[in-house]
Amino acid sequence: MTTPVVGNQRTLGFSQPEPSRPLRKPRTSLKVRNALIGWTFILPNFLGFAVLTLTPVITLFYMSLTNWNIFGTAEWVGLENFARLVGDKSFHIALGNTLYYAALHIPITIIVSLALALLLNQKLRGAAFFRTVAFFPYITSIVAVAVVWNMLFSPEFGPINQFLGMFVGGDLPGWTVSKDWAMPAVIIVGTWKDMGYYMLLFLAGLQTVPTELHEAARIDGAGAWQRFWNVTLPCLRPTMFFVTVMVTIQSLKVFDLILVMTDGGPGQATLVLSQYIYQKGFEQFQFGYASAIAVVLFLICILVTVVQFLYNKRRDA
Amino acid sequence: MNRKIMSAFGVAAAASLALTGCGGESEPEAPEGPVTISLAGWDFASTPEFQTLADAYEEANPDVTVELKEYPAGDDYDTALTADLSAGAAPDVFIVKNLKNYVTFQEGGTLLDISDVAAELDPETGGLEPMAVDGATYAVPYRQDSWLLYYNKELFEKAGVDLPDGSWTWDDYAAAAEELTEGVDEKSVTGTYLHSWQSTVQGFALAQTEGAALDGGDFSFLAPYYERELALQDAGAQPSYATVTTNELTYQAQFGTQKAAMMPMGSWYIGTLVAEQESGAADTFEWGIAPIPQLDESTTGTENTPVTFGDPTTMGINAGIDESKVETAKDFLSFAAGPEGAAALAGIGITPALIDDTVADAIFSLEGVPQDELSRFSYTTHETLPENPVGQNTAAIQTILGEMHSAVMSESTPVDEAITEAEERVANEVG
Repeated sequence: MTTPVVGNQRTLGFSQPEPSRPLRKPRTSLKVRNALIGWTFILPNFLGFAVLTLTPVITLFYMSLTNWNIFGTAEWVGLENFARLVGDKSFHIALGNTLYYAALHIPITIIVSLALALLLNQKLRGAAFFRTVAFFPYITSIVAVAVVWNMLFSPEFGPINQFLGMFVGGDLPGWTVSKDWAMPAVIIVGTWKDMGYYMLLFLAGLQTVPTELHEAARIDGAGAWQRFWNVTLPCLRPTMFFVTVMVTIQSLKVFDLILVMTDGGPGQATLVLSQYIYQKGFEQFQFGYASAIAVVLFLICILVTVVQFLYNKRRDA
Repeated sequence: MNRKIMSAFGVAAAASLALTGCGGESEPEAPEGPVTISLAGWDFASTPEFQTLADAYEEANPDVTVELKEYPAGDDYDTALTADLSAGAAPDVFIVKNLKNYVTFQEGGTLLDISDVAAELDPETGGLEPMAVDGATYAVPYRQDSWLLYYNKELFEKAGVDLPDGSWTWDDYAAAAEELTEGVDEKSVTGTYLHSWQSTVQGFALAQTEGAALDGGDFSFLAPYYERELALQDAGAQPSYATVTTNELTYQAQFGTQKAAMMPMGSWYIGTLVAEQESGAADTFEWGIAPIPQLDESTTGTENTPVTFGDPTTMGINAGIDESKVETAKDFLSFAAGPEGAAALAGIGITPALIDDTVADAIFSLEGVPQDELSRFSYTTHETLPENPVGQNTAAIQTILGEMHSAVMSESTPVDEAITEAEERVANEVG
């Protein structure tokens, strides 16, 4: 299987084996050479990855087994940090909140962005304009988003509650300053902000759905819903898989939105794992313990992604 | 020919390297002559205090150059400085900006013992005493803001409420706030304004309550302070915590544009308000400063010393400093925390840790600063206790109390329940 490549390289004149030597040697050197050329191409990217991501991640695993306040040397404590996690109520709350956020944010974002994509895939007048509009939240600064949404959510003077007040009597949600409503408020904003990006991915996916299939289905008498369910959705599966993986990882490591909107409050109502890591590490200088929490978050992300990959593979087969 | 020149250069370069190398190793003590020390600070454009201190010191000591190194402002200062300290790349002298991280720096071995500098300072220097860790001092306060009560004289007159006279307890303050709200009777104006920070409630409770301690595991001392603030926001005498946080209200705008007749705030706001009235960012109105209200009458009145809170901003010496520079660095610290540094700071409207008559004269000679006697009394006379007492667990406890603050003030959790929860969390998670 590999010979044609080598042959091509030869005819292209990338490498001329010296005629006096036996045949095997130049082949291997050619292989090495080809590999080296490949490596050179990914080297710049890999260097950045190695220095800025891989090394810190490996260090993270080591740090999680130590007690380190950033100064001096780290003290080896084995699994002590992980044992402490078991009994740490704040960690349990942060983990619960992270899963709460993910459990709602993932499906809602997928449904909303897919619906938007289907809508804006029609040949409507001004579709390009509305696509831009839907994408806008994604490129808006998160701090500006948080400030504006916080005002909209203001329980006393905010437009949202004034609007709701026209239809619903009695107690209105306290949104970001209520223990029960802060998380839904953050999820609404998170979905609103992210939907444009995933809509774009779905739109790209929709372009790959063959129109013949739709026509065939229509001739067979399939309604809009049946066509969506039996033609569009199966054809979108690669996109759907990619979007699901991305949105899952994004939900599990949500940080900046919550930090600027509620700062984890009120109380610990919206404290998520990433923020807890930040608190322990950069506010309280417990880098060992913070690393242990980060390892847990890392493992959750890996686990969920692997499960998604396996599921996708099984469907593929 | 070319080659000859080049080899000549090479020999010369090698020789000079060898010579300087030798010289560096064998030099025994610091020579008399110019010394340069570096000082870490943040955001020089809007924080002129570092340059002011450096200039004043250089003027008094022409042999010394104080080189400033700029770090990011806000919480990023600690993060960036910490990274430099652990890498051994931090400046000779640095500001310990947040008192709650002092112990981390000290235990990390990044601070030089400067007990000798501390011993020579005026014992009146605000915040000096609490800096001692096991009998040794590692950083000295050069700046200390204290919390005061700002009030708008015109709104008081409009509402027909007596001006503060220094005799107020918190209950008097609460009563006045409600009277003011009613008396002014304008929808957008409240009797007082309480900013969303946890210190606006907890700082006073900790400083004024007998026997209250952050690491004592008992937070019941917070309860009366919270009950009072909740009652005030329920009565509409101050914007609710929900309104303050969701609408991102700023204390400068609330008091400066006359939306609140009173406001507890740190002494740094004097300079801000004067500047904003001059620039037009704040309305022009007559205002004054009163002592912060007290828990009970034992500390009220101008014959007593009111108790308030405020963290000193302190300066320490990097433990990794070149030995030849230690004496100069110590001298700089004595200068910055002493009367000369204080005078220099007061000249730009900043409250130094050492408040003497020169400092008070300098502050009250600034145009726009109220001239009444109570204002001067409030500024110069107070016992200021730290918001973040020096202790190993202060940072962790403050995180828990901060979360409690948002839960209580947003009325998500009743006061007693929140206090019990915080006590349990401290027992469970800290230490």
